This record gives sequence, C-alpha cells and structure tokens, in this order.
Amino acid sequence: MEIEQEKRGDVLVVRVLDNRLDAHCADEFREEMAGYVANGDRSIVLNLSRVDFVDSSGLGAIVALFKMMGQGSRLAVCGTKDAVTRLFKLTRMNKVFDMFDTERQAVHAFAQS
Amino acid sequence: MAYDAIKLIIDSDLNEISLVRDAIGELRSRVALSNALFYEIELCVVEAATNCIKHAYGGEKGHEVEIDIGVYGGRLIVHVCDTGEPMDIQVLERANASALEVDENALHLISEKGRGLPIMKAMMDRVLYERTGKKNCLTLIKDIGGFGPG
Repeated sequence: MEIEQEKRGDVLVVRVLDNRLDAHCADEFREEMAGYVANGDRSIVLNLSRVDFVDSSGLGAIVALFKMMGQGSRLAVCGTKDAVTRLFKLTRMNKVFDMFDTERQAVHAFAQS
Repeated sequence: MAYDAIKLIIDSDLNEISLVRDAIGELRSRVALSNALFYEIELCVVEAATNCIKHAYGGEKGHEVEIDIGVYGGRLIVHVCDTGEPMDIQVLERANASALEVDENALHLISEKGRGLPIMKAMMDRVLYERTGKKNCLTLIKDIGGFGPG
C-alpha cells in the first residue's frame, strides 16, 4: 500500500494514499506502522483524507497502532470523509483517539499540548 | 413487485474483495442508492465475505464465496455463503451494539478484532445465519425504502 510520511517537529504525519484501508491491506498497514513505532515515533497524525473505504480490519489495524504506541503516546486521525467518520463514531473510535477535520488542526493541537 | 439481483462468486482470497464494490456499484446503476447507503451496503457485504475467507476457510484460497444481492420491493436482501467451517451462532447473538462500546478508562485493553458482526447488525435491519447441509449463509436485510425500484 502507498503511504507518505512527513516529520513536523516531534510529530510524524502519515498519509495513506490508497483509497481503501480494508482486510486486503490491513496487515501491510500494521507492519508499516510498527516500523514507525520501532523508530521511536510517539506522536502520530494519521491523515485519511484520501481514503474512501475503511472496514473493521482497517479499524483493527489503527487500533493495533494505538496499542503499539503505548500509554503516554499521542495518535490523532484527520481528514476522514463523511462515511468513514460515521463508521468511526459508530465503533466509538472517536473516543479512542482524537479526530480532526484537517492535518493542520491535528498537528497544531499536538504542538499546543 | 420490482426485482433486481446480482450474483457474484469470488475465490476465498482477500485480493478479490474489491469485486464486491464492483457488484454493489452495478446494483447502484440499477437502483438509486444514497452515498451513505452505498457505503453501508458495501461495508456489510465486505465484512460478511471477509468473515467467510478468514474464518470459514481459515484464510485458505481456492474456495468459493457466493454473494447474491437482490432488491425486492424496496428491500435489499443479500446472501453471503460459504462451504467452510460453520460459525457459532452464539457469536452472532452476542454481536450487539454494546460490543462496539469502549471503556475510556482502559483504552489500552481495547480489542483489535470483533467489530465486523456488530457493525453489520448496527447497519442492517436484520442479520440471519443458517447452515443448510454443508452450506453456511449469512443473510443481510435492509429496507432501502424510496431508494429501491419499489
């Protein structure tokens, strides 16, 4: 799967460039994220603005990232499209990690905290 | 009564899951569906087919997953069937909305799995499971009201 990363101060911004985060690519996503965590990144903004479709496996992979990062780390999700946002709310993911409309807002919030 | 149906058989390979989107897209060309409804239907069918591949067939390729998508008088009825290991019916019974709740005081214990069936039950009007002979079928039913050809 195609992922782009950019370091913004202490914050690692990860942009998923594929339009689907589902069972087909969830394991690959998890492995990519494990690499970032292994590198010591503990503040991650996950930009899903290009993603049209997320299923429960995709959600599970994001939860896996959250758990890999451990307590005291910060994970935010930004840019989700309406349908994906509804899924995050249905599954209470909005209570697990912070969600922002834009990448700029997410990075700004991390910088303020 | 208006009727429209699509039948799709895919291999038990996660690479083939995207074909579900094509099938739902084909349905959309025949039946008006809002973007939100399209997503819900696609998601639930994908979840059901993924369960067949991962759980009924244990991730083994080379088996059939059969998907029948029909609209009958404004009601969407989807059958997703396999011939693999049957599902414990209690798993479906337990998969209610409370299974999606999270304990905000213990987020580090949150599970990575187990959301597929609760999502299906939350988005569809009814989710039924039946084993007939060696065939297991999950049936998804949703009233699509004015969106159907009705």
